[in-house]
Amino acid sequence: MKITDAIKIIDDNWITKPKGFRVCMQRREGSEWVIDYTPDEKAAPLDSDVTTWRTAWKLSVSTPLRDGAPQEGDLVNIFVVDQDNNPVDYYATGEKETFNPCPV
Amino acid sequence: MQNELAAKAERIGFVLKEFGAEMVQAMVILVVGLLLLQFVMRKIKGFIDKNIQDRHRANTILYIIYILLLVIIITSALITLGFDSRNIFRLIILGALAIIAIMLVLRPYLPTLPFKVGNTVKVGSLLGKIEATTLVNTRMKTFDGKTVFIPNSKILNDFVINYHYTPSRRLKIDIPIRHVRDILRTKQLMEAIMIEDPRVLLKPARPVVYTLNLVDGCVKMGARCWVENTKFWLTQCDILEKILTRMERENIILAGRRQAIRLFHETPLQLSGGDGHPDPGSQAAENPSFSAVSDDDEI
Repeated sequence: MKITDAIKIIDDNWITKPKGFRVCMQRREGSEWVIDYTPDEKAAPLDSDVTTWRTAWKLSVSTPLRDGAPQEGDLVNIFVVDQDNNPVDYYATGEKETFNPCPV
Repeated sequence: MQNELAAKAERIGFVLKEFGAEMVQAMVILVVGLLLLQFVMRKIKGFIDKNIQDRHRANTILYIIYILLLVIIITSALITLGFDSRNIFRLIILGALAIIAIMLVLRPYLPTLPFKVGNTVKVGSLLGKIEATTLVNTRMKTFDGKTVFIPNSKILNDFVINYHYTPSRRLKIDIPIRHVRDILRTKQLMEAIMIEDPRVLLKPARPVVYTLNLVDGCVKMGARCWVENTKFWLTQCDILEKILTRMERENIILAGRRQAIRLFHETPLQLSGGDGHPDPGSQAAENPSFSAVSDDDEI
């Protein structure tokens, strides 16, 4: 096997490089929850998962969970996804992480 | 003496009488022309700044327009004053040709600044973006928002790193670890973190981790990868943060600087007899020197 073939196997099967990251969340709009992203799907995704997780955390602390009925603009179930909408592991814990978790 | 002064005054009076009107007209053309030039250049600069992104090209176009308009104003003033227009144009063409010829001949020998406006460069210890250059100095905006005027003579005599010429830079992160048993795990996690980062490039070289050396009781691991110039700093910060948090999670102990402190506690020697050797039963022999090593090196 040539070294180039070996490298191709490694590239294809070992670690996949995501193309970008988005914060995925559920936002209260009227009487229902809608899935929203930032940056939105029309814009280019962020290239740093650290920055994206930081944005997710800031969004969660800016819209903390409240007791009682959900209100317009509430953000819950905030996490980071890659370009294919697959959840991304939180680099700090190595596990899936969701800020403001809330069953909806 | 008085006669000479009177003669001079008479001559000036004659010139003013003969050419006074033309001189006033020429002066008016010059002054109004220069004021108009300032106004027009401001408008043109605003237009060019909006439409041309390349600062260097924009400045060159501005200079050319400025020189052309200035020549037109001066020529108009001279023609009004009575100079022969053909001679003026000949003079202008001759001057322009002479300047071009001198520039072409001397260009290889003239010292030129090793950057253009808009380039990100490091001059000595200053890192920033070049905003403007003049014959005397260069204006740089550093990344912490300071505007620095650097004499061109200093730039020509100092080393300059221009990050514009290559699109990517090699990122270098060295991490000291305590235990040899962690080498492989550290190597694996550092490499994985670099590969999975979208900003890390595979060319000109793939990410790689080296075991650099063993100094001061710690193993130094070195991660190397290539990233785009514009993303260099943030990528470096992110990768370092991810490596440190991942190492913490996997209980890989970082090594800090080890410092050995040796304390010597000695009592004066009590010599027995005149042979110069201490008495075996003396206090000095019972209290030998001891050493202690500070070991607060975990980060």
